[in-house]
This record gives sequence, C-alpha cells and structure tokens, in this order.
Amino acid sequence: MNPLNLIIKELFYRKVNSLIILLTVIAAATVSVAIYTLSKASENETRKIMREQGLNLYIFPKGTNLIDFYSINNTPTFPEKYVDKLAESRTFDAVRHLTGILQVKYPGWTDPNGSTHQIVLIGYKDEAMQRFLPQQEIMGFDVMAGKVQVGALLARNIKEGEPFTITGADGKQYNYEIEKRLDEGRGMIDQGVAFNLSDLQELLGMPGKINKIEALGCVCMDGRIKNARNQVQAIFSDLEVTEMASIADARENQRLMMNKYGAFIIPFVMLSCLLITGLLFYQNITVRNREIGLLKAMGNSTYNILFLILAKAFILGLVGGIMGFFAGHFIAEYFGTEIFRFTASDIKPLWNVFLYSILLFPLLWVLASWIPALMATQIDAAKTLSQE
Amino acid sequence: MIELLNISKKYKKGNDVFTALKDISFKIGKGDFCSVIGPSGAGKSTLLYVIGGLIHPDSGVVSFEGKNIYNLTPVESNQYRKKHLGFMFQQFHLMPWLTVEENIRLACYDNKQQEKIEYYLGRCSLKELKNKYPSELSVGEKQRTAFIRAIISKPDILLADEPTGNLDKTNSEILMSLVKVYNSEGGTVIMVSHDPEIARFANKSVTLNKGRLE
Repeated sequence: MNPLNLIIKELFYRKVNSLIILLTVIAAATVSVAIYTLSKASENETRKIMREQGLNLYIFPKGTNLIDFYSINNTPTFPEKYVDKLAESRTFDAVRHLTGILQVKYPGWTDPNGSTHQIVLIGYKDEAMQRFLPQQEIMGFDVMAGKVQVGALLARNIKEGEPFTITGADGKQYNYEIEKRLDEGRGMIDQGVAFNLSDLQELLGMPGKINKIEALGCVCMDGRIKNARNQVQAIFSDLEVTEMASIADARENQRLMMNKYGAFIIPFVMLSCLLITGLLFYQNITVRNREIGLLKAMGNSTYNILFLILAKAFILGLVGGIMGFFAGHFIAEYFGTEIFRFTASDIKPLWNVFLYSILLFPLLWVLASWIPALMATQIDAAKTLSQE
Repeated sequence: MIELLNISKKYKKGNDVFTALKDISFKIGKGDFCSVIGPSGAGKSTLLYVIGGLIHPDSGVVSFEGKNIYNLTPVESNQYRKKHLGFMFQQFHLMPWLTVEENIRLACYDNKQQEKIEYYLGRCSLKELKNKYPSELSVGEKQRTAFIRAIISKPDILLADEPTGNLDKTNSEILMSLVKVYNSEGGTVIMVSHDPEIARFANKSVTLNKGRLE
C-alpha cells in the first residue's frame, strides 16, 4: 500500500491529534508572517516618514557655520564629484542615500503678482548609487531636469499651469515646468523650490558645485553612525558630518520597536508550538505502538517507520505553513491599515516569505517530530504485539 | 526448513530472572503444521517471536533454510519477515483507519494482487465487507481479515499466536479450516495455543512447560 495513502488515512482518522498539530503550525506561521509583514511595513512607513522629514545626516565643508548656512549665502562649496567618490568607496558603508545638494538663499524672487520675496533654492543631485552596498529604494528628492517642485508657501502665489520663472546669475529669465506643488509642513522647502542640481548650478553660475550632502546614517545597534564621521574624514579631510539626532532617534525607535517585539514573540511562539507538536507526536506514537509493532513484524524497515512519522509532520507543516502565511498576511493587512498612515495600501503578500514558509515550517515540524519518530523505530514489536 | 538449536531466553525484572525458554531444539519441515501448546507463561509466544526474528535469544541458533536468522543484516532480517513469514495474533492488530481490503493490501508488496485479494475475500466470506472498517466487523471477521493479510503475499511460514484465543467455537473452526487449507496448499504453519484441541489440526506438536520442551 502506498505509504502516503497510509499517512493521509491515519491523519484523518486521528482528527483531534492532527488538527491540534496543524493548529500549532498555523499559529506559528501566522504570528511569524504577521510580525514580519508588519515589521516590513514599519520599515516602509519609516522610510516614507523619513522621506517626508528629510535625511538625517548632513555633510558640510569643514568650518561651515550652520547659522550662516541657513541665513546667509556665502557658505563654502565643494565639488559635486565628492559625492561620487564617496559612493564608489568600498570602505564607506555607514551612510546610505547620498544626495549632493546646492542650497542657497535667493533674496529677490518676484512672484507673478509682482511681489518680491526671499526664497530658498535647493538643487538635488540624483541619489548616488553605492554599488558596494545592497541596493535600496531611493529616498531623496527626485527632480527631473527642466522641472521644479514648488514649496507650499510659494505655490500660493503661482496659478495652476503657469511656469516657475526666475532670473539667473547671468541676468536671463529661466522658465521651469512645475511638476509638483509640495504639501505644507515640509520645513525649509515650504518657502523654496526644488531643482535638479544641474539646472540650479546653471541658474546660479556654479557649475559642479554643491554645499551640502544629505544622507541617511544607519542608526544601528552596533553604533555604525559613530563611524560615519571617521569614514567621511578618512576620504575627505575637508568635510565634516552633522547628525539630525531627533529624526535619527525617531527612526531608530520606530524601526527597532517592531524588531524587538518580533525577536521575542516569534521565537517564543515558534518554540512553544514546536514543543507542543513534539508532545503530540509522542502521544501519537504511544497510541500507535501496536500498529508500528505490526509494521515492523511485517518486515518494514526503520526507514519506512521514520518516513511514516516524518512525512506526516512534513505534510502538516506544509499545509499549516501555507494557511498560516495567508492568515498572517490577513492579520498584518487588517492591523496595518490601522497602524500605518502612509503605507497601509502597500501591505501586500510577501511572496519570498511564502517560499520560506513552505520550506521552513515543514522542515521545523519534521525536526519537532524527530525524537518521537526515533522512539517509534525503537518500539519492541514482540512486546507490543503480545500484549493482551 | 526451520531448525531451532539450544534456544534459551531469560527475562530480567529487577533482581528476578525469569526463564522463558531453556535449551529448545526442534525442526520444522516445509508443509508442516506444528502446534506449540502449553499453559500460560510456558514461553510459547516467546518461542514464536524468536522464530519470527523479533526476539533475540540469549543463546542458540535459529536456522531458516540453513541460515542463522540472527546473523542476518537488518535489511536481510526485514526481507526474511517480509518474504517468508506471515503473522497472526490473538488481538488481530488490524489498522483501525483502514478498511478490510486496505488492511489486506498493507501486506501486498506490488499492485498486481487485486485478483488474489478478491479470491481470498470470497474464500473467507468477506467479499461484502471489504469496504468496512474493523470497528464494523465481528471478531471472527476481524481474525479472517488478519488471516488473509498474513498469507496474501504467499509466505513460507504462517506464525500464529493464539489466533483462536478471542473466537467462539464456530469462528475458531472456520478459521482453523482456512488455516488447514493454506497448509494443504504447501504453507508451513507454526501455531501457538494453550488449547490442546488445536493439536488435532497439526501433524507435529510441541508442548512447552516453564520454558522447556516436554
């Protein structure tokens, strides 16, 4: 008789035992998948929030007076190619999302109504690709050449459909298509305009120049942020690093909170479920000792007996893993909608996690049944079969 | 076909030592029907399981077709039981989640035995019950199912441990007549029983008392 047939029939005969084992897999898979999905969603949410708040690490030329940087226009500049050199460095790994920026005050912008204002012009270089680091989603501003993104306060003075017009350092008028009107509450850019870096350099007659690099320092438990300063200065001794601690801390707390809970809950639930499964398999073997004795008397090998027990664990692990994956995703989606403001709609089934589920849970449940399965192979057939 | 030479087996329980078998020697030829009779605790079942390769004797030799079965590798030992032996027990030991036919099929090692299964089901009056589960059968029907399972793969030897122990007289006689037919077709039978009546079906009888041959 086909051993798989035998396993399935036994599985359905001892429904309660099988069902409880299946529930343990579902519970473990649900909790793991839900927490992992929520943790990924939290990461995405943090990324989105960070995008809203800006990057947390600023790299300036040494000696830059930050008060002056934000109030007057004669802060030192440095070559744009510094960004590329940092990005190309194999040893520079404490900082991500390097974005070269030219930020200046522009005192005499005349709006379409004829009023003159002091505004901020910020040119963003495309985020540098750090090819020696794992690739990540781009966080910085992504402004296309020939277009601008206008801050909320400025946008009030420009009608829909009108271009953004500004006088360049050469006295000429430059027109840019407004691709986005930014929301209010985004800090300095509320009263400014975001350019593609090359456009702003051309406008200001400062080709190849930037005065700031914004980046994301990895706020990790291993303190890599402390290395950021050393790493930057090892490459460019004329640069220094400033950390925006409040943003960094917020990011760290949010990201670590979910990981901390996950690091405790997932192993706890997993181990509890595996222990229960081990005990249930032990109980199953005890109940089946005569059946196993009979199979041995009929000439079935130790491997046949092992297969009958382990394959049952594998099937339950596989079915439970699949069911748990979808249950976990459902829970993550349900609660994620409540928790995550920006990324709720981005919570989608993580198919790579599905692959792990259908590999990991059968494997773990096979391991949980391993000791009872070995005990089954040690059953004394003569003793059990002669019992009345 | 099978020869036992100076078989001894003792069990220890704490400080107590119980002698189950003491210097047992006899031969069983092909086609023999050997009854092993004796009172409870005489060592009959131990002897049967020693022949079945399931209890290792403390001393002595069990030879099947000239080979000591306790010198076989685990794989050879499994093959010995699979190919040459069929077991029947007082408690039937049917798998409760399998139907009559499936319980029989458990001992079929290829898929071409349907005709044979149908034949034996008919011969043992179980054809109508082939899709029933053991819980739906009478004890006689259960034991006949166990009998077919034991002989379906045409083993050389049928080892039966008190197969009539749970049956009434009518069912005992039906079963014994089936066993006798198997024997008359060339099968060797070694049957353990505490019932001396069984001996009348056998052409050879061994009586055990306190682990010794009488």
